[in-house]
Amino acid sequence: MYTEKTPDVVNKNPDVASDVKGLLAAFDSDTTSASKTYLNKIVEVTGNVKRIDTSGAVVLGEEGSASEVVIGLDRRHMKDHQQLKVGFPGTLQGVCSGYSKGGGDDLLANLGTTVELRSAGVKNKKK
Amino acid sequence: MLKNTLTMAFLILAVSIAGAQDKYFTKTGKINFFSKAPLEDNEGKNKTVTAVLDSRSGAVQFAVQMKGFEFEKQLMQQHFNENYVESNKYPKGEFRGNITNNSEINYGKDGTYNAKVKGKMTIHGVTKDVESVGTVKVDGGKLDVNSSFNVLISDYNIKIPAVVKDKVSNTIKVEVDCKLDPFK
Repeated sequence: MYTEKTPDVVNKNPDVASDVKGLLAAFDSDTTSASKTYLNKIVEVTGNVKRIDTSGAVVLGEEGSASEVVIGLDRRHMKDHQQLKVGFPGTLQGVCSGYSKGGGDDLLANLGTTVELRSAGVKNKKK
Repeated sequence: MLKNTLTMAFLILAVSIAGAQDKYFTKTGKINFFSKAPLEDNEGKNKTVTAVLDSRSGAVQFAVQMKGFEFEKQLMQQHFNENYVESNKYPKGEFRGNITNNSEINYGKDGTYNAKVKGKMTIHGVTKDVESVGTVKVDGGKLDVNSSFNVLISDYNIKIPAVVKDKVSNTIKVEVDCKLDPFK
């Protein structure tokens, strides 16, 4: 049992689906409610691909906005980013691992609202 | 002649300002940790680390969602969140500090520079002073920040049950790899 691997959630049925705008707005308007809806849940999210980190992460969001959905790719989906292109829409699925909001007086104050997913990958793969 | 001199002075000033980007950031930084114990090795990986570096002051800040760490073993992932770092209660880890030799780093010139970092790290609701060394690689206006250091989890009031003490080490090796873009 101790050696059981963490499951691949990318192609499971999501607990909840949203677009980037809706996901960020949910945390902006009511973090308690959004946390209940999304945190630790399998979330499918669709949005504009803003940045791709080829070492394992994708950022969805709109140009000109600091608020973003930041997605860490699962170890079994590290090359999924090859199916995405910056400036085009993408749909990814993973586990919502947290959020942070800008503000305050620290160095991170101007980074907007960030919602994070881990263990993720690209959905609707073309085969 | 005067016009040419003024134009040249303006261009030099503009280039200097463009090369003196103050803040750099990432939201896709990597922090990995390794536990090497007599019976088992474990590794946690987080690929969504937020970091900001102010090149003018040398101030640095990292923030990490504890639930963002991925493990290969399901039970380790569960124990890490529920029993060790208690991520529901303490969702974030954080480092706030300064590069103490910041004046030795030329952010306008490509190269790899040694960096000494000093600050406060908070994990599991406990804040401790931390000192480490690392490198800042300046490459085409972007930064690649790397560091590696050891953490004693007992310092952060993280308790490992006796039954798994041969599977989880008290000394955790932490590796930081963050590629920072200019913050516009």
